[in-house]
Amino acid sequence: MSPNDDFRRELNHVFDDISGSPDPGLRDRVRSAVAEAPVERSTYWIAAVAACLITALIVGILYVNNPFRRTGIAGPVLTPTPTSSPTSQPSPSPSPSAQPVICSADTVQPLSHVHPWTAYISDLRAAKHDAYDRLVIDFANGVPATGVELIPQKGTSFDGAPSGQPTTTRGTNGIKVIIRGADLHTSYSGSRDLVTGFPRLAEVRQIEDFEGVVQLALGVNGPACYRAFYLTGPDRLVIDITAAP
Amino acid sequence: MSAALMEQRPPQALNRAIQGDADSFSRLIEPLLDPAYRLAAVMLGDRTAAEDAVQEGSIKAWRKLKQLRGDASSVRPWFLSIVANECRMARRTRWWSVLKLPEVREPDQERRESYTDLRRAMLRLSPEERLPLVLHFYLDLPLDEVARTLGVSTAAAKSRVYRAAKRLRTDLTMEEVF
Repeated sequence: MSPNDDFRRELNHVFDDISGSPDPGLRDRVRSAVAEAPVERSTYWIAAVAACLITALIVGILYVNNPFRRTGIAGPVLTPTPTSSPTSQPSPSPSPSAQPVICSADTVQPLSHVHPWTAYISDLRAAKHDAYDRLVIDFANGVPATGVELIPQKGTSFDGAPSGQPTTTRGTNGIKVIIRGADLHTSYSGSRDLVTGFPRLAEVRQIEDFEGVVQLALGVNGPACYRAFYLTGPDRLVIDITAAP
Repeated sequence: MSAALMEQRPPQALNRAIQGDADSFSRLIEPLLDPAYRLAAVMLGDRTAAEDAVQEGSIKAWRKLKQLRGDASSVRPWFLSIVANECRMARRTRWWSVLKLPEVREPDQERRESYTDLRRAMLRLSPEERLPLVLHFYLDLPLDEVARTLGVSTAAAKSRVYRAAKRLRTDLTMEEVF
């Protein structure tokens, strides 16, 4: 008898000792339990119900957010400025009339529901159009999760953060742009003070890039009125400085 | 126990069971109840709990029969893996699971000393360590079927069997185990 047989035999004795024999009634017990147990519903049926629910959810979200109402698809093409060099061809800009012009504080909510932990600003571009001047803020990896605040103010003096040192821009009034969950140093290497020479948007200056918060001071000639919205392909925030509505 | 006792189930019974015939399903798993019970009893160390695990496993197998992949030869490892899962759930959800092992009766006085040592070593193993030993040595399953029951590769199953056996007897060689 080999050592293997010895080991196996002794092991089986141990197993026999522990388990014993099943109750003779186990077979009938199982048969009865199986006969009374309902068969599980088809997984296809469950999948169909789940698909219907998901479809209804998506339709509901689209209905509530209605992205087509917030972003147009036709309009003027952006003009590159001397201070920026966009790396990708943006999708067509929306019609200027698609968004209301306002002169008070507002928050631009992101359309997407998938956001990076920190959105990297990759470019700041300014351009002059007939009825408005445009600032475009490009994002390299998606837009921030929280809304971007725009706060118009009288005068062009802004408090720099986190130092608190006052900063004054060109123009007569200003708009502070607060972007949380973003930074201006990972993917951006351009100027942090764009003096445009445009009739409405005079200057764009960074006043904060600290701990995931970016603040931009926009120096504006005339009333600090604007319309702002997101566009995709690439992801970007558009701020048009325009005359009062 | 020998593998010959657990012969292949006729595919006709399997097909009828899949179509919803409970009687065919009961006949299909009937020869597997004894090995399933022994597996559960060794894992749980409690005979009543083992019978409950086999019953619950049978009901789950019946409900999930359409998920069975493969032919009739897949029924045994599939069913045993369901029962093993029931044992794991029973241990997780019942507070007495860790207290039951000492209740197993003591071996007879005339049993050899080596046997007593082996039994003590077995009771020190966790249920997860006992499972490959039961499948391979007690139920005589070939390694590939042990692997399918454990849900691992054949090499991994061989390794688990050997590792558990070494914990019972440290001087065992691979040749002595397989």
